[in-house]
Amino acid sequence: MKARSAFAFLTPFLAVFTLFSLLPLALSILLSFLDWSPLNPEQAGWVGFGHYARALHEPRFWGALRNTFFFVAGTIPLTTTLALGLALLVRLPLKLRTLFRAGFFVPSVVSMVVISLIWKHLYAPFGGMNALLGWLGIPPQRWLLDPELALPAVMAMDVWASVGYYMVLYLAGLETIPAELYEAASLDGAGFWARLRHITWPALKPMTLFILVVNTMRSFQIFVEVFVMTGGGPMHATETVVLYLYDAAFHQFRMGYASAVAYLLFAILAVFSLLELKWLRSEQRTLA
Amino acid sequence: MTSRAERRSGPLAYLILLPALVTMLYPLWLMFRLSVSGGEGGPLAHYAAVWREGLFGRYLVNSAVVALAVVLGNVLFAALAGHALARGRFRGRGLLLGAVLTTLMVPRQMLMIPLYLTVAKLGWVDTYAALIVPFLADGFNVFLMRQAFLGVPVELEDQARVDGAADLRIFYTVSLPLVKPALAVMTINTFLSSWNSFLYPLVLTTSDEMRTLPVGLALISQGEHSVDWGHLMAGSALAALPVIGVFLVFQRQIVRGIMAGAGR
Repeated sequence: MKARSAFAFLTPFLAVFTLFSLLPLALSILLSFLDWSPLNPEQAGWVGFGHYARALHEPRFWGALRNTFFFVAGTIPLTTTLALGLALLVRLPLKLRTLFRAGFFVPSVVSMVVISLIWKHLYAPFGGMNALLGWLGIPPQRWLLDPELALPAVMAMDVWASVGYYMVLYLAGLETIPAELYEAASLDGAGFWARLRHITWPALKPMTLFILVVNTMRSFQIFVEVFVMTGGGPMHATETVVLYLYDAAFHQFRMGYASAVAYLLFAILAVFSLLELKWLRSEQRTLA
Repeated sequence: MTSRAERRSGPLAYLILLPALVTMLYPLWLMFRLSVSGGEGGPLAHYAAVWREGLFGRYLVNSAVVALAVVLGNVLFAALAGHALARGRFRGRGLLLGAVLTTLMVPRQMLMIPLYLTVAKLGWVDTYAALIVPFLADGFNVFLMRQAFLGVPVELEDQARVDGAADLRIFYTVSLPLVKPALAVMTINTFLSSWNSFLYPLVLTTSDEMRTLPVGLALISQGEHSVDWGHLMAGSALAALPVIGVFLVFQRQIVRGIMAGAGR
């Protein structure tokens, strides 16, 4: 293929990619060092790391960060474990296994807004959750209106909505394990748990890592769920970092400050992804 | 291979899987039930009301127009760019591929503010252009197409070249038909993410007429009037049905798309 044709082929993509990916990326770094508001666009002052320092002194930022960490730490281990458990179960030679696989995955394709609305109904005072508690003889709860319960309630929904997606990834990981490994282990008399611990789990390590990285990236950016279900309330109890920066940028018009918050979140994300990669490498070394 | 132990574990598996399935499907069933009950004038009363009152029809049209344009644009742009990255011999190819892959690492939400400012500078806020153009170039799709084109035997393209065909003609008649599976994966992935997209359409539109379905639904649910759950669930069902339909028909492509992401 001639270089000239290659450039012609690339031009449409490159034009959009430059204007709406590369340029915004460069712009956002600059913006985080400026005091700039769309309400007063002519006056932009250089503030250096001022926005970053400001964020670190802002109790609401720390509250949002704490909620986000709580969300990540609470959902990811649960989602990952359940996804692996379901993947192992729907791999068994069952008649209904196609139905199970499809049924567990289907929430992953439905809009998060729709899912959040349905769960808002479930958590309403008259909703399904309180009906369920009633059957069990437990008094009704205020769920999304209760500062203590609101965040865990949103987290439970997130586990429900995302577990099928990671189950599919684990299923693909399980396909790659050679059957001979299991046959040899069975001959050696290894039971279900022994095989899980010594064959399945080590062989799935790369997939587990991938799932952890993807889910960490996603969960640190949780937005739609809280936007729709609680708006960050009650009393900021469910405000996440992205919801906080959305509010700063589009309600308070502090674009520079919000950009700094976005970069702080990005730094945290990068550190976590690196730690997860490192953890996998050391695990692989101990196994070898 | 089915071991005896695996066959024995069947009943136990059902004991866990059946309640799990009920748990997974109940909320979606609840949506449909609420959308068809409680209204006067038959089971579709909420749907009719949603269609008549407010701007639901408009939201639906907006979502469909945007999804269609974004899918077509992505297929065209990513296929062309992917082919150039797979077959073109030019300086800076590796650098360009690196740049594309690097931007994939940056979370989309990070670009929300600068992208909004870029769109605002162009005077596009609250237009179809804002909802479509920035999303026509997706780095992941380009990467997917590059990988697919690398799998096409070079000899086929060279043969066509010997016969005197131009690059664009070779691309269109020789290479493109051979990467149909990847095109299908990209089409379905792009449709799902465009149809369900929320944060960007929320930020890039200001008038009620320009909202897409997810944004319209979310904002109605937060309105000052008390929430009519029947209406809201009918609207939700309208947003959910197309993607559930696509999922039921194209399950295999969706799963392959997920795996393409994992293999990168």
